[in-house]
Amino acid sequence: MTKHQITPILQLNNITKKFGGLLAVDAVSFTVVQNEIFGLIGPNGAGKTTIFNMLSGLITPDLGQINYLGQDLTKLQSYQIAQRGIARTFQNLRLLGNLSALENVLVPCNVHHKTDFLADFLGLPKAQLAQKKTYSKAKELLDLVGLSDNIKQQANNFSYGDQRRLEIARALALEPKLLLLDEPAAGMNTSEKASLSDLIRQIRDQFNLTIILIEHHIPLVMSLCERIAVLDFGKLISLGEPEQVKNDPLVIEAYLGNE
Amino acid sequence: MADFFNTYGHLIISTLFGAMLGLSIYLPLMAGQLSLASPGFYSLGGYIAAILSTQFFPRSEGTYPLHFLGVEVILSAILSGILAIALGILVLRLRGIYLAIATIAFGEIIRILALNLEITGGAVGIFGIPQPFDIPLAYLWIAIPLLILVMFLVYRLEKTNVGLALRAIQVDELAANSMGINSTKYKVLAFTLGAILAGIVGTISAHFLNTWNARQGTFDSSIIYLAFVLIGGSKTFVGPVFGGILLTALPEVLREIGNIRLIIFGILIVLGTIFFPQGFITPNLLKKWRK
Amino acid sequence: MDFSLFLQNFLNGLSIGSVYAIFALGYTLVFSILGIINFAHGAIFTLGAYFTYALAGGKFGFNGILANAQLPFQLPFVMALLLSSVLSGLVTVLLERLAFKPLRARNADPLLTLVSSLGAALVIVNLIQYLVGAEIYTFPANIYGNLPEAINFGTATKPINIRTVQIIVFGVSVIIVTCLTYLINYTKVGKALQAIAEDTTTASLLGINSERLIMITFFISGFLAGISGTLVSSSVSIAGPYFGISFGLKGLAVIVLGGLGNIPGAIGGGLLIGLAEAFVPSDYSGYKDAISFGLLFIMLLVRPQGLFGKKLIQKV
Repeated sequence: MTKHQITPILQLNNITKKFGGLLAVDAVSFTVVQNEIFGLIGPNGAGKTTIFNMLSGLITPDLGQINYLGQDLTKLQSYQIAQRGIARTFQNLRLLGNLSALENVLVPCNVHHKTDFLADFLGLPKAQLAQKKTYSKAKELLDLVGLSDNIKQQANNFSYGDQRRLEIARALALEPKLLLLDEPAAGMNTSEKASLSDLIRQIRDQFNLTIILIEHHIPLVMSLCERIAVLDFGKLISLGEPEQVKNDPLVIEAYLGNE
Repeated sequence: MADFFNTYGHLIISTLFGAMLGLSIYLPLMAGQLSLASPGFYSLGGYIAAILSTQFFPRSEGTYPLHFLGVEVILSAILSGILAIALGILVLRLRGIYLAIATIAFGEIIRILALNLEITGGAVGIFGIPQPFDIPLAYLWIAIPLLILVMFLVYRLEKTNVGLALRAIQVDELAANSMGINSTKYKVLAFTLGAILAGIVGTISAHFLNTWNARQGTFDSSIIYLAFVLIGGSKTFVGPVFGGILLTALPEVLREIGNIRLIIFGILIVLGTIFFPQGFITPNLLKKWRK
Repeated sequence: MDFSLFLQNFLNGLSIGSVYAIFALGYTLVFSILGIINFAHGAIFTLGAYFTYALAGGKFGFNGILANAQLPFQLPFVMALLLSSVLSGLVTVLLERLAFKPLRARNADPLLTLVSSLGAALVIVNLIQYLVGAEIYTFPANIYGNLPEAINFGTATKPINIRTVQIIVFGVSVIIVTCLTYLINYTKVGKALQAIAEDTTTASLLGINSERLIMITFFISGFLAGISGTLVSSSVSIAGPYFGISFGLKGLAVIVLGGLGNIPGAIGGGLLIGLAEAFVPSDYSGYKDAISFGLLFIMLLVRPQGLFGKKLIQKV
């Protein structure tokens, strides 16, 4: 593989999370290196989304550290993590439904393009200029994911696939270094899935991103990801390149069960 | 015309205050926060005016100097603001009805303090708050510009990036957070703006009403202010203004029908919630009018 | 504090606390089923007191359109109490039909229910004022029979006098709580109510007729409000049409303290607030009402799910 093996961007160290009596994530450790597309797979309830929730600060691990570019994420709140360049999408879509598509993307845009509130409030030329810039940036991102029409429409009027793409545009607006995609292909048809694969590669290259991806559609994961971690009942059971993981007996057992 | 103002002047001024109190509930609601703290801050603002003007500022012949009133307003704004920031940081972690109840508790604690402290005049309250004008109608010169100013400020606020962040929090706080928005900061901001507004209205009302006591800003008034917003329309700032004017005027307009006016008022509130669940003024309605 | 004073305060606290508990039970039941706070609960409390006063043969005063009116009959107090509570329950069911059900049918914002219930409270309170005026009504001293004014729990030298009324209030409350606990845990209706409180959708899948149960819930809630209104006014007096409003707010403090929608919580919260208030030194009695709101405020900050509630988990 290439140079990116050298520089880790994210290290999970012994991450553990319990919900009541249930060990949702059990002492999971792995490292994600810069610029890779990293897959996180496993049967339902394996703890994948829980890991995403901990990475994005929505929940705090009971044990362990998450090192992101030298900082411990477990001590940060979700907005601070977002501001430090980790963006995510949600498995069950959390768009701001009654805001327009454009506004959905503008919200995170504004995090980086801090305008002087007073200038903004008074509508001074300086603020209007800044606003124009963020607008055009937001429009570019919407173009990129293929949503140039109807951007003033309410987000919840969009089709399911379009909403998923809108979430990606919104995440990109944060100008992230690390992008977490939670089942981006869910509910998409075959051709949509193919173009999604292309889109993910394209944005990785264009924005110099590292991407972690949760996905149930195995062919997509196998073709897209450079490395894959497999979780089962909260435990990391396999980690490696797609070919390696595919042939791991533990993985086969987890997916097929002991029937 | 003069007759009209003499008869209805008091009412018109009260309705303008009502509109502003509606907006004071609307502001935190912009960030999706149901706060019923407005009556507490309204009461606080009134006591600041009553205490300063009757006990601290020198009494003079003639009308009460306007710059004293200005000092009171500024002081109320500052004190309400500081208290609101402290209170907001504490209570804005709560959601929905829990936040509403915590803010009701705050209002009740203020009321009970006012009832028992010496400086607030106990159960009797404070009388003889001096008048800055020769005629009560002149309060219009404060109330009208103030309401227009507040409406303009809220209108502009909604257009800014801060306004967009508030809307994002209103729709989905968790999603807003994961987009880098520090929701606590914005919620406290919206809550504090509402509190400052309520405090200022209280300060001016205390002079206008000439007397102030613990019956100002009780729990039921918090729900009445909420009714201003919900029946007026909670999706645009025009709603609470309209609701505040309508529902403040209604009991007075109904005065003609005598003792049953408050019964009718209650019935109208129930009917309002049932038949206008979106409130009278909705963004769509405003669009239609513009065309 | 010497022991006899302590005991006296303790018993007084239990007595008032037990009324808080049954009042709050009615409040919390409605919340557990519908997730709404019915601000008219305090108005029903007031109504119950007036009903009992009238049914027990009380005469109304000089104000209001019913001035000097009196029912042609006079029920024994216990009968009046029961009938008045039933009437309060029926009025609450009517209220549900008129002010809450239409909102539920339209799937309206739950906030609207707060406003609607306050509108309903305004109607009831002002209707009372319109009918019978705002004066204070006191029950005759012998409503519970010819009992001594107070009972001495101490010795002749060290008396611990507890007013008989308060002992009766406590006794009645205990009976009510026992009946209600039985109703909820051991009857079909009670189990159905629990199912709805857990999850409305599942309950309707189980074939539970939730509309009928909602009516039953409101009836019980109103019944409890009415009975507590009577009990409180028999121990002090009916302090005018508005006297239920502040009591209603205190009920709100009780149910949040115990955990919204939580039945043991309402009982525990009621007793706790009753006891806490009873131990306020008389010099500071003006601040007595601040106790419940202070406790409520602290509880919300420390443990918003209340003393008995389960931890609230936000779904991501």
